[in-house]
Amino acid sequence: MRSRAAASILQTAGFATARSMLGGIRAWEGLTAPGQPEAGMAFFTMAARAEELIALAWLLEEGSRRFYEEAQRSLADSGVQKLLSGLVSAEEHHKASLEKLYQTLTGSLPGKGFPSSLLSDAAPGDYMEGGVRVSEALEWVKGKNTSEFLELAMSLETSSYDLYIKMERRVEAENSKKVFSLLANEEERHLESLAALLR
Amino acid sequence: MGVIDYFKPVETMTAREVRKFLQGRDPREYNLIDVRQPREYEQGHIPGARLIPMAELPGRLAELDPNKPTIAY
Repeated sequence: MRSRAAASILQTAGFATARSMLGGIRAWEGLTAPGQPEAGMAFFTMAARAEELIALAWLLEEGSRRFYEEAQRSLADSGVQKLLSGLVSAEEHHKASLEKLYQTLTGSLPGKGFPSSLLSDAAPGDYMEGGVRVSEALEWVKGKNTSEFLELAMSLETSSYDLYIKMERRVEAENSKKVFSLLANEEERHLESLAALLR
Repeated sequence: MGVIDYFKPVETMTAREVRKFLQGRDPREYNLIDVRQPREYEQGHIPGARLIPMAELPGRLAELDPNKPTIAY
């Protein structure tokens, strides 16, 4: 009902097409992201330029890669190993895409000290996508079964997707928008393949 | 808005249609608005949705591009 009223207001205000979704969130069968509108955004406030945003995003992807790689050791189920290898290589791919974007935007390859050379000493090295500490997530994984682990992975990846879309809207510089647009697009494809593996 | 807004005919989309619409589409091409309360949004929202609670919508229309297709839930 609320969304009907919303669509009506939008129509009256001259919005080209305004639609209300039937059944609300209860009818939604896709993934949902938890958290407040600003969740995870604070992490990116220590970067101003697009290059710095790339460096921070790269650190998060590296954190996730490390998480999935090390989780392979604590999850005994052989069925999940292939999935984890897939996740590790997806994170590798995201990192490579960020490096490529860096080159496109700056005209040069990321230097030897990348990414830390672009960041202040305050930049945390232990974080992964979803804004969680790698060490804490690994601690959590211990003793968990495969489905619990997969639920966490989906939730982290969905939160990242949510965050990247919102960050794209939040940042103003065109190059910064490109960084988050790339991340959101990649994350969406990543989620699709993850969901396909779970079916 | 008045009570009448709840009864005006509006175009609707099923959740499945919305999902299909969003899939593979660049988030910059549409507005997706969550008009529920913050607490409901925090429990789980469609990825990328903006939180604009119903009561705040009339005053926050300027945040949205009226030329983009807009979906509210």
